[in-house]
Amino acid sequence: MESVLQVIFSAVFVSTILRVSTPLILPALGGLIAELGGVPNIALEGMMLTAACAGVLVSAYTQSEWLGLLAGVLLAEIMALILGFFHLNLKADIILVGLALNILASGATIFVVYLLTGDKGSSSKLVSLQMPTVDIPFIKDIPVLGEILSGQNLLTYVAFIATGLVWLFLYRTRPGIHVRAVGENPDAARSVGINVTAMRYLALLMSGFLAALGGIHLSMGYVKFFQRDMTAGRGFIALAAVYLGAKHPVGTLIAAVVFGAADALSIQLGNLKIPSQLVQMIPYVVTVASLILYAVVRKRQAAARQRKFQQASL
Amino acid sequence: MVDTSAITLSENRAVERARIRKERVRSSLIDLIVTLGTIMIALLIGFIVTLAVGKEPIKAYTALLTGPLSQVNRLGNWIQDATTLILIGLSVSIAFQARQFNLGAEGSLLVGALTAAVVALYVPLPPVLGIVVPLLAAMTAGFLVALIPGWMKAYLNANEVVSTLMINAIIANLYQYLLINFLTPEGDNVRRSALLPATSAFPLLADIFNANLGRANLAIVLVLIAVIAVWVLMRRTSFGYEVRMIGANEKFARYGGINTRRVIMLSFAIGGAVAAIGGVHLALGVHNRLILGISAGLGFEGIVVAMLARNNPLLVPITGLFYSYLRIGGDIMERTASVGAEIVQVIQAVIILLITAQFVIEFVRARRNTSGTSSSRTAAVSDATAVPSEQSRRNI
Amino acid sequence: MIEMRDITKVYPNGVRANREVSFEIKAGEIHALVGENGAGKSTLMKILYGVERPSAGQIYLKGKPVRINTEHEAIALGIGMVFQSFMLVPSFTIAQNVVLGNEPVHGALLDNRAAINATSELAKQYGLVVDPSAIVDSVPVGMRQRVEILKALYRGADVLILDEPTAVLTPQETRELFAAIRQLVKTGKTVIFISHKLREVMEISNRVSVMRDGQMVGTVDTKDATETSLARMMVGREVFQQYDKPPVNRGAAVLQARDLEYVNEAGRQVLRGVSFNAYAGEILGIAGVEGNGQTELVEVLTGLRVAVGGTIKLGDSDITSRSAREVRQAGVAHIPEDRLNNGVALTASIEENLIVDRYSKPPFSRAGFTSLAAMVKNGETMIEQYAIRAPDGALPVGSLSGGNMQKVVVARELSANPQLLIAAQPTRGVDIGATEFMHQQLIQQRTNGVAVLLISADLAEVMALSDRLAVMHNGQIVAIFPDARGLSEEEVGLYMLGVQLQTQAEIEKNW
Repeated sequence: MESVLQVIFSAVFVSTILRVSTPLILPALGGLIAELGGVPNIALEGMMLTAACAGVLVSAYTQSEWLGLLAGVLLAEIMALILGFFHLNLKADIILVGLALNILASGATIFVVYLLTGDKGSSSKLVSLQMPTVDIPFIKDIPVLGEILSGQNLLTYVAFIATGLVWLFLYRTRPGIHVRAVGENPDAARSVGINVTAMRYLALLMSGFLAALGGIHLSMGYVKFFQRDMTAGRGFIALAAVYLGAKHPVGTLIAAVVFGAADALSIQLGNLKIPSQLVQMIPYVVTVASLILYAVVRKRQAAARQRKFQQASL
Repeated sequence: MVDTSAITLSENRAVERARIRKERVRSSLIDLIVTLGTIMIALLIGFIVTLAVGKEPIKAYTALLTGPLSQVNRLGNWIQDATTLILIGLSVSIAFQARQFNLGAEGSLLVGALTAAVVALYVPLPPVLGIVVPLLAAMTAGFLVALIPGWMKAYLNANEVVSTLMINAIIANLYQYLLINFLTPEGDNVRRSALLPATSAFPLLADIFNANLGRANLAIVLVLIAVIAVWVLMRRTSFGYEVRMIGANEKFARYGGINTRRVIMLSFAIGGAVAAIGGVHLALGVHNRLILGISAGLGFEGIVVAMLARNNPLLVPITGLFYSYLRIGGDIMERTASVGAEIVQVIQAVIILLITAQFVIEFVRARRNTSGTSSSRTAAVSDATAVPSEQSRRNI
Repeated sequence: MIEMRDITKVYPNGVRANREVSFEIKAGEIHALVGENGAGKSTLMKILYGVERPSAGQIYLKGKPVRINTEHEAIALGIGMVFQSFMLVPSFTIAQNVVLGNEPVHGALLDNRAAINATSELAKQYGLVVDPSAIVDSVPVGMRQRVEILKALYRGADVLILDEPTAVLTPQETRELFAAIRQLVKTGKTVIFISHKLREVMEISNRVSVMRDGQMVGTVDTKDATETSLARMMVGREVFQQYDKPPVNRGAAVLQARDLEYVNEAGRQVLRGVSFNAYAGEILGIAGVEGNGQTELVEVLTGLRVAVGGTIKLGDSDITSRSAREVRQAGVAHIPEDRLNNGVALTASIEENLIVDRYSKPPFSRAGFTSLAAMVKNGETMIEQYAIRAPDGALPVGSLSGGNMQKVVVARELSANPQLLIAAQPTRGVDIGATEFMHQQLIQQRTNGVAVLLISADLAEVMALSDRLAVMHNGQIVAIFPDARGLSEEEVGLYMLGVQLQTQAEIEKNW
């Protein structure tokens, strides 16, 4: 038990949480925008995977991490456009299109990696790059805090800054509030001249962009290779974070960090012979429990309103 | 109007009916052609991808398309793989008919495999019962596990896509945990359970026909029973009627006195029980033990099977066989061209995209209706997309 | 200011909603557009607002011909419309809703303060009281409507079309709305007021245009008109003729509702102690402006909602809080208000639609297994008996015409041989022929000894059919007239609008 506590309260552990949360926070924010825009993005997983793969390959061949990033983002955006086209223009069900894109991404990435390297499992034969880490002056010299806050990958900082920006976008900008209006009452939005389809495309594109950053962090953040299906369900966990976070940017951030913490814990506890599966289960159990709790509380509230009336009338 | 005799009226009606029958036959023919067309397009795209590999693409693609029939043991693999896929496809089709997006087949399959294996390992059972008891236990477990997202959807209006995905993940972790920590015999370097007792193994077709049919086994009998049972359930029982009416219009079902919540919950649960049979087949038939990654994403593959079959239980075996043919073909292709499974994934994705969009069907119909005389409305309505509506999932 | 000349609108399904309608609006007036349900007034206004396009005819704005293809073009021309169902985003504030689509910005960011200021300024200017920073979801209906009006004004509307604006309002809110309309006109706006409530029209308008059957009957100055004269123009015959029906042969009390209370999910009390009886062999009409609790009353009676208080007895058995199925099995049939959305499943076959209330009973089901033969036979019988124009019962209901879909509902509900038949807004969205059919069916049921509960917002309809008439207002029964014959609209209307109510004793006497 003591060793568990030691793990939890170590600076390394907190730093690990920030690291493993990054590829959850970014896609979760993307999932949030899409969800609020009324176009739930199941394809986060596939978009991350595609970006992770493209980033590694392009950075390996161009020796520019930035071109790698760009390529990843572009491909994820193309997927977002496909998702939008099938759902918004061809009226296909967005969940099924999303699932199809995930399958496509899983197959296509393995295929492309094999074509280029002759290896189906990973891109380890290629020399790909990493996104830079950032040392924050002054803070990096503070003991403990410096260890946690400084020296993280650039995308980790981006993730936290993105949370603020997403909040700003959704609540304080014109396109943001239009996206939310379109998600909540498309007819109302349409009636005041908002282009519902365009706003939903915008939501999907932003969603794809954030998912791509998350994917890039996976393959070009802490490690520098691509592995088949390396997202390992993070796109779905991100989706869960949106729901657990009550569809609010800050809530989503917190939920994603909690999921990241559970993940980090399972990595750390692995050394202590505590079964990692049980720890890894926690985020999912929490999400299901919170879904139930949320619904039950809402039901209770409605019932309470009715009861309150009954008592008043007696 | 008034002096039209009863005879001509009924004659008119007979003529009209004949016309409608003909119309309907043509309509289903078009469905079939469009489905086949979809498959052809998907295969073509797969072929273009294969061309990109460069190394003898035609040989590679031939392996994909004819491989499963080229050797008896491959035929066995095909039968074995199709057995699971058909069961999963059936499972998915049930909730889909109620327009519920139940993605929980994967979880139910794992629970089914786990339960069946544990019962077989720890409960000494005579022959026959050695299969029947684990099977029933697994179905019960699959039923109960699927009851959770069903209950959450029906009574709490919680988004079933999220809940079933989460529950799948929980089960996958639990499965691994139990397998690694409790079921792997000491000293075994591979993380897998002990072999199940012979009384709990499905007899292999290889032994029956004295041919090298791989691990294909008598569970195909279960598939036949399941197909018929699900068909009867969905088309010939009150429960099936309830499910279909909920799928057609949930408000209408409620108004008509159907207990929509109960039926929705049960549609998840029954799907869970059917998916669990797939797990039983894997544990008792194919592997004779539990292994890591026993399901390998089969839950999602079942969606393609159900969609291709338009949720019709009688068509699920056909689409299941077809889809599994591609999977096995992909494996064989892999050995010839080093690329295989990925192409099957690409083909799968294309099929889903084309079917969901429905634009091909509508395009064909629209063309025909402008030239012909039939009412476009009939056609459009009769072929409303057989997947859950967006509306049904919007609220959480 | 605006002139619509020879407007004709034919829908793709052949319905002629407007036939060469000409309509003129003067600047600064309150112009009422009246007509029965389905007279074509909404279609005409939708054409003016760019939602629908005319098949023929021309619109002139300030003398110049204009083409209005979309509502945005209408808004650009200074025409705004407030629909009955509000177009608001519930989780946004009132100010956010008012400025939505045209938000004031400060650099790249929204200027919420400016939005609030703009909203409160507009609100002050036109006397439309709202709380700009309140969340729409939490404010009452009257305020939501003011938000809609503010939205139109914010977009620079000079002409405001209000589509039956009082339908969802309490009398108090209606008075406030009228005050606001007068204020609007004082500041130079023009208001078109769609209604079928003559009392309100007389009170608020300067001129009245009357439509009937898709045609313009005429336009008169309100001061030269009376409610009766308008009513004559609207219906073209004496108002409220009762159907010729056999004398009442009233039997036992089939339904006894007592003190029904219902609070909706939002916590608003919708039913406040509703009590009445329905007797065998009698049509009890419940008149009332829509949204006064009728929908909830029907759903509580049919088991689709659970009452918060009170009891419902059917014959001798208590059916309070029973499920919809139990209520149906106890002998209640229900022709629902929104038949095309709730009464049928469009993609299911006619046969399947006809058994939704009985599929689990023999001969349709034995031991849980369905009998296709019984279903098909039932379908054939019903198609024959109720003259549903369908060549085959296996066709999806969605392939039928609107009137025949209605017949499917009626056939199913009447063939259930109910003790109590609840018909909610039975002729809404129905053409004249089908209305006649529906009415005859209700009368026949009543004559056969069924207790018929008729809920309708169409006063002419309830008056024509009812033997006994109750009036609902604000979740209460405010009056019961033991004999519906000879009642005038004025009498009933006063109760409907909540101006008058009978004493409890008077009501109880006629339960």
